[in-house]
Amino acid sequence: MSAPGPARDDVRSARPVATDGTVNLTVAWLALRGLFGRRRGILLVVLPLVLLGLAVLVRVLVDGSDVADDILYQLGLVVVVPLVALIATTGVLSSEIDDGSVVYLLAKPMSRFTIVTSKLVVATGCVLVSGAVPLLVAGLVLAPGTPRLGLGFAVGGLAGGLAYCALFAVASVVTRHAVVVGLVYVLIWEGLLGGLLDGIRWLSVTRWSAAITDEVTGGPALVEDLSSTYAIAATTVVLIAGTWLASSKLRGYSYTADE
Amino acid sequence: MSSPSDPRPSGVIHDIGYRPYTGERLGEGAVAWSLFRTGVRNCFGLGRSARSKVLPMSLLGAMLLPAVVLVAVLVQAGEVLGLTGQIVPYSRYALITQVVISVFVAAQAPALISRDLRFRTITLYLARPLRRSTYVLVRLASLLVAVFALVAAPLLVLYVGGLLAELPPARETELFLAALVGALLLAAVLSGLAALIAAVTTRRGLAVAGITVVLVVSYTVVTAVQGLGTEEGMPRLAEFAGLFSPYTLVDGVQVWLFDVAASTPAPPTGRTGVLFLLTALAVVAGCVVALLARYRKATVL
Amino acid sequence: MSTLELDHVSRWYGNVVAVNDVSMTVGPGVTGLLGPNGAGKSTLIALMAGFLAPSVGSVTLDGGQLWRNEQIYRDIGLVPEPEALFDHLTGRQFVLANARLHGLASPGQAAERALAVVEMTDAAARTIATYSKGMRQRVKMASALVHDPSVLLLDEPFNGMDPRQRLHLMDLLRRMGSEGRTVLFSSHILEEVEQVARQIEVVVAGRHAASGDFGAIRRLMTDRPNRYVVRSADDRTLAQALLGDVSVRAVSLRPAGGVEVEATDFGRFSAALPRIARDLDVRLFEVSPTDESLESVFSYLVAS
Repeated sequence: MSAPGPARDDVRSARPVATDGTVNLTVAWLALRGLFGRRRGILLVVLPLVLLGLAVLVRVLVDGSDVADDILYQLGLVVVVPLVALIATTGVLSSEIDDGSVVYLLAKPMSRFTIVTSKLVVATGCVLVSGAVPLLVAGLVLAPGTPRLGLGFAVGGLAGGLAYCALFAVASVVTRHAVVVGLVYVLIWEGLLGGLLDGIRWLSVTRWSAAITDEVTGGPALVEDLSSTYAIAATTVVLIAGTWLASSKLRGYSYTADE
Repeated sequence: MSSPSDPRPSGVIHDIGYRPYTGERLGEGAVAWSLFRTGVRNCFGLGRSARSKVLPMSLLGAMLLPAVVLVAVLVQAGEVLGLTGQIVPYSRYALITQVVISVFVAAQAPALISRDLRFRTITLYLARPLRRSTYVLVRLASLLVAVFALVAAPLLVLYVGGLLAELPPARETELFLAALVGALLLAAVLSGLAALIAAVTTRRGLAVAGITVVLVVSYTVVTAVQGLGTEEGMPRLAEFAGLFSPYTLVDGVQVWLFDVAASTPAPPTGRTGVLFLLTALAVVAGCVVALLARYRKATVL
Repeated sequence: MSTLELDHVSRWYGNVVAVNDVSMTVGPGVTGLLGPNGAGKSTLIALMAGFLAPSVGSVTLDGGQLWRNEQIYRDIGLVPEPEALFDHLTGRQFVLANARLHGLASPGQAAERALAVVEMTDAAARTIATYSKGMRQRVKMASALVHDPSVLLLDEPFNGMDPRQRLHLMDLLRRMGSEGRTVLFSSHILEEVEQVARQIEVVVAGRHAASGDFGAIRRLMTDRPNRYVVRSADDRTLAQALLGDVSVRAVSLRPAGGVEVEATDFGRFSAALPRIARDLDVRLFEVSPTDESLESVFSYLVAS
């Protein structure tokens, strides 16, 4: 039972802890809890395990260094990283917006940009743990003589993951079917069309991460004719623009319109 | 209407002519049939809002477009190019367009199955003369038929085109029918797996992600292992690897049964083919059983 | 720091007008937003909470804009209607998280205080997924109170509460109001509003139908006569008989047919009219009110 006078002053006049700034820990903690409190966490564990399992299997059967490139690219960069980014980002953003519980985050004196970046930090953390690090380990398993290979893929995977997370964040705020939209993008734009049409590489996150990987590994090129400077610049642009766009759309969020 | 100003304070129930329905009542079969039809139509967005038509129809278009192009080339330039058969064999078409099929299954299975469970509208269905198991089987059948239609439609286009291009009709028909069997099996395996995953998770986004992971990751891993196996001289490994992805599994069965063109570098030979067929059937049966069990657990209220 | 002002606010979605030219001032104390389902109450609350922008007009808190302005949430507490909560957290964790998100200096203390106010201290250690509907409402309230806001907006707060919880909540709201806070809650149940709020705003079909003291509005109902048009088989006979009834103040015959009746006591009139018609064996074709807004407010407030 709060006594009106003194308690009120006590709570309100006490110096409020800054909630603004780039990352808000509580938002991040809530996002993390939400992700692993539900079953999405299982997928985020299964994907890296499959990657590592395959790496181990290949290593046991053959000398893996010839095929390491292929496996790390086809399974790692093309499949695991985008899927981890999709599952993590939609897990922290889309499900809350869908069922309306995001209103508890929005009804606070905290900038929308902070909210989005805090959640993205969690999502990219997942990409790091479930995507980049397993890529590194798989690279080391497959080709222990060339550690730069694993490192290159890890870096490329992380960069790609950052861009993917930003894109999926925008999708989560804009549409209710963010997962399906992200899926279509990953499988059809990046996967199918990217494989068929060469020109897509300028607009394909997977190709950019491949270019960055090439730069670090210095090995045979995964993707032709795409400078790593362009790739880094493009990734940064997508990351910043996506985060800004998602925050801007979140400011205009109306909760009755969803009913 | 009732007469007002009646001084007695008692209550009266008026006979305003309410009559119960005494007409013909269709049985469970009719209920199941209409549920089935609605399910298939909903998979393609028919009977729903315009926005839900966009994805399935574009996917259908994406499946048909290459077939149309191939047929056009065959008909127009077949003689010039000396083509004696389909450019892309019937049996290989599904595997080539598997991304489109996977997206379709991943997007539509949750819409068909998870939605009822999540919002508990399943109680409305079960309050009809419809047994729980019938409901489950009908839903699965709807998904199966929808996926089959998606896979078979381009095959039909290829067949008609082949006949128009005056390819030998007996052989074309044989290949076409064989591919249809394959398509049916593929639809069964895919819809079984997808329905099971969708029924287990109930959150639509998670179901979509789960189905995608299973279909896409399995295929990527299997092709990697198969490529490895054939290159490094381990054909048995490559063959067995084909068991672990629906697409390669069905492709293996097709090749073994009908001796058609294979899509994988290591199709099963001899007795391995039996294993493939049995596995495919076991997967379908297992999914059905698991689905029925899962719905038995679903609390209705 | 606590007066909400709506100035000629309208909000539409495509062709549907949810809120139609509403102007009202919500000041300190408890105000009830009353109206049938679909009247636009949730829309109004969303407008006042800064989660919706008016298509026309302005919504301000002490003169400051609400839309796209995060800082208002220092002073506004919102208890939204949808039931979705962070199911995997315990009640305490949820309220604590809310306290932290507000940037309070001692979030733990504030959370405990808020939980005590809604009497959820015992159940706070259980996960929200195990809560009943009433408990969820209380946790939502705690999360809205944790930063001690001067404005409290509640969207259908009594939904799903049992009588004891409802009494408790009413008590709480009254207390908040007497502390000088601005409390606005919406409901479609007359009794709830009657017992808590002295000041009510009635919204019907998106329009602001009545505002002010509850008792005063009710008195207006009886003081202001209702007008009806009655079309019948024999207007003159009917008119003559109606004038003989105590509940009727005036009748006039319309040139185009029909009797215009001014009735002071609607209850009596609605019983008298059919009785008179039957006694005279006059068939009634149509009975319709000409004073629409009042009719709607009235039937709403006094329907029993």
